[in-house]
Amino acid sequence: MKIKKIDVWFFSLFTFSLLVFLTVIFQQIAVADDDYAGIDVCRACHQKNYDNYLKSSHSKAAIPGNPANSNACESCHGPGLAHVQKAGAKGTGMIAFDKKENPEMKQARCLACHHDSRIVPFWDLSRHKINGVSCSDCHSGHSGMKNNLKKAEPELCFTCHASIRAQVNKQSHHPLKEGLMKCTQCHDPHGGSGPKMVKADTVNELCFQCHAEKRGPYMWEHPPVAENCLTCHVPHGSNHGKLLSSKPPLLCQSCHDATRHPGTIYTRFETFSGSATSGKNRIIARGCLNCHTNIHGSNGPSVRGQYFIR
Amino acid sequence: MRSQTFLPFLLLGLFSLSPAFADDQEDKFSGEISTQGTLVNINGNKAKFNEYGDMQNGLYSDVKLKYDDDKYYVDFYSQNMFYDTQSYDLEGGKWSAFKFNVNYSEIPHNFTYDAQTLYSGAGTANLTYPTQPPSTNTGTWNKFDYSTERKDYSAGFKIDVLKPFFLDFSTAIDEKSGIYPIGAAGTSPGGISLELPAPIDYKTNSINLLAGYVRKPLFISLGYFYSNFTDSNTSFNFRNPSTINTVSATDTYSMPPDNQFYKINLKGALSNLPLNSKFNVDLATADAKSDAVLRNSYVGDVAGGLTNIGLSTPFFNGEVITNNIATSVTSKPLSFLDVKLFLKYDEHENKSNVITITDATQTPATFQNDLFNYRSAKYGTELGFQLPANFNFLGAYTYSTISRERDDIPNDRDNLFSAELRWKGFDFLTARVGYERLDRRADFQLTDPTDINTFIRCFDAASKSGNTYKAYLDLFPTDNFSISLGYKHRDTNYPDTILGLTGDRDDEFLIDVDYLINKRIRLFGSFDYEYARQDQFQRQTVSAVNPSLPPTSTDFNWTAAQKSENYSYMAGSEIFIIPEKLTLRLQYSYLLADGSVDYTYLLGANPLPAGRTQDNIDLPNWDAYRLSSFCIKLSYTVTKAISVAAGYVYERYDYNDAQYDGYQYVPATTGTNGAYLTGAYNNPSYESNVGFVTLTYRF
Repeated sequence: MKIKKIDVWFFSLFTFSLLVFLTVIFQQIAVADDDYAGIDVCRACHQKNYDNYLKSSHSKAAIPGNPANSNACESCHGPGLAHVQKAGAKGTGMIAFDKKENPEMKQARCLACHHDSRIVPFWDLSRHKINGVSCSDCHSGHSGMKNNLKKAEPELCFTCHASIRAQVNKQSHHPLKEGLMKCTQCHDPHGGSGPKMVKADTVNELCFQCHAEKRGPYMWEHPPVAENCLTCHVPHGSNHGKLLSSKPPLLCQSCHDATRHPGTIYTRFETFSGSATSGKNRIIARGCLNCHTNIHGSNGPSVRGQYFIR
Repeated sequence: MRSQTFLPFLLLGLFSLSPAFADDQEDKFSGEISTQGTLVNINGNKAKFNEYGDMQNGLYSDVKLKYDDDKYYVDFYSQNMFYDTQSYDLEGGKWSAFKFNVNYSEIPHNFTYDAQTLYSGAGTANLTYPTQPPSTNTGTWNKFDYSTERKDYSAGFKIDVLKPFFLDFSTAIDEKSGIYPIGAAGTSPGGISLELPAPIDYKTNSINLLAGYVRKPLFISLGYFYSNFTDSNTSFNFRNPSTINTVSATDTYSMPPDNQFYKINLKGALSNLPLNSKFNVDLATADAKSDAVLRNSYVGDVAGGLTNIGLSTPFFNGEVITNNIATSVTSKPLSFLDVKLFLKYDEHENKSNVITITDATQTPATFQNDLFNYRSAKYGTELGFQLPANFNFLGAYTYSTISRERDDIPNDRDNLFSAELRWKGFDFLTARVGYERLDRRADFQLTDPTDINTFIRCFDAASKSGNTYKAYLDLFPTDNFSISLGYKHRDTNYPDTILGLTGDRDDEFLIDVDYLINKRIRLFGSFDYEYARQDQFQRQTVSAVNPSLPPTSTDFNWTAAQKSENYSYMAGSEIFIIPEKLTLRLQYSYLLADGSVDYTYLLGANPLPAGRTQDNIDLPNWDAYRLSSFCIKLSYTVTKAISVAAGYVYERYDYNDAQYDGYQYVPATTGTNGAYLTGAYNNPSYESNVGFVTLTYRF
């Protein structure tokens, strides 16, 4: 029987693939058997990391599948014998979880154990994942901190979100920099279906969790309020009081330019020290809110409620 | 001796016994107690200095306790014990079996101390004064503080012992009390304005229950959330000084009603689908309800007489149902391609009752409350490509529609495109550039040329087009040195807007630097610059509402440009004089916000009102402020167990705003200049000096 040329090629390719496969498999087996240095060897040079490892949940043998039940340090960092034999040299295939390494590879390392966690089922939806952020950018098993965070909030988040830090430093802000609130009270860094990774389906639902008095429902509604708090407010910080995106009366006049006072120009002449003979109480102090305080909604009577002044 | 002062001594005494206990427990029991003595000197506004704080002369104590063995752990952490910022957290559990937490915290929010009002009863639901008209001699007025305090109690329990099933339960009580400034028109239209100290006494109880299953490839959870808000003062009474009738001059203000909210939420994710895909779903339905007894009269005029109104029903039953659906598929069909397809639908259905009001003083005399509903749908895709030469490209497109029950703009359609290119060609560098384009088309419905609303486009729904450009560069040439640069430009135009917000833009530039030199000196700093501008085109009119008509002295257009230029920088250093022993930290920060408003009268040939020019009408200080602070701290680790630190912080805040310059409590007692104010938010500037010494003991 004549052997076709294509069969020879096919047979050669199959044999080559089989050899490659077996080589990889045997390498893996060999790794399992021979290439691990052991935690005591790691400790000899990395005492501080070892101490913090003991403080972390990774060291608890009671947790099934934990590094403590397998190869300890090398469960995450990979086999370290070559690293030891080369006197701690880099480039031996260990994973340092530093910025230079591929984020997907680092994520995969963590998710290999944490894929069954209730914390990360929607990690694929997270902007962090899409933007190449990996678990180890925020977490480290050697930080000694709660949840293995590398830094406390909000400084951890400000490492990347410098623009948000600039907003939080403005005079009107939530008490983040005072340490009385955390970014993760509103945002889920591990992803979800809410806008901007917030821990709610809508912005208003999130805000009402703490500001339940704004929830209403009110007899007299202010539609932009009912639709989205962010129409008038910026959540991270503002130069204007009450986290407003602009300042009354100009904020209100952006939409309310009807006859009578909403459309009136209020200038320096209408301020306390100005010489105007009318209209001052529409700009001084809190502007429109001097009268229309109930802008989030009202149950007041008749037009007093309709125009949010009772 | 006050409890704050007594406590540190008590704790130090107790923990002096801790080494013996710790020995018994080997390394399972550990802890830390920290006591800080603070001296504070404040010149100026103490409330703004302590807006979210309780910094005063005294001793502050923090305690951390930890028990940790191979099976169980318990952590206790308390901060600022017995001060208004105190918090206590107790957490523990059995590894891989269950967790529990019990927490208590307080958050103060101070607005203005020593505000003053003509009323007696500040903080109660009844404000009154003895004689009509009230005294304008503010020296006789009553002083009080505008301040609120939150007290949060929470507890939770998480069970993992039945893995892959899990169960979470948590409950919380949030109490908020204090005094908050509100405003009321004395009479309307055209009356004086009143600033009133309103009582805040809220309580929100909530529970959260979550049960689910998680084992790859399936995650599924069912959640239930319930929140019950109660307000001890759903209305409050005040004597109205703008009326002259001493018998009927008690007015009533409506405050937030009690409400209840529940939400049921089903979430799921299924992975290991073909093409490396994962399907995600999030379904939720929620119901918010409130009840209010409506008033059938109000103080109507300067005479102080009651205006009686007719109501179709005296009870308002508010109810809003929201439904949310979010589904998505994420996939990695090729090694270099990530795909995400998503759909999100939100529905806000107002089922409140419609009240018919009959008020003979109004035109028309019979009218109803409008119920606001909306629906939004959003769908789109994101594509992530891993390209050769270490480039990553992310492209995204989202189309969304919003339908709302509103007369002016019932429908919006948005097209949002974005693209980002990331390059990580070197180990020490990441560069990103991005662009985003938004086009919104709005269906405007009003056509009556005699109604000014026909010319107004509310910016929240108006047609608009926006561009965002951003560029970031992260450099980390060594493990000890990193520098980040960022730039962002955003502009929005409202092409269909005749009256209203016509455009806004924002430019931002950021730098961050961190450098550790020879493990002995760390230098760090940041610089942020932001320029923001908003432009408005408006019309002041008494009859001729069309902005295209030639201007007259009473019907004319005007513009306003709000500008804000902010820059801030921070520079600091940590000097490890004796590594891990003696450290000196120095830090200086500065923030300047320079806000202003440029007004322009568009009067054509008509003269500006007497005394006014296009230049002297502007507001040169519009939330303008500067905040500078300097900190020096020396830390010394005496032994592994004991460390001390001492430091000094200087801070200065200067605020300047046209709305508060030349502040008067009573600008006038009648007419549209008239107001009775209380000093809320007035003059928040301060200068502070804080010295502190901290002693920390670890075991």
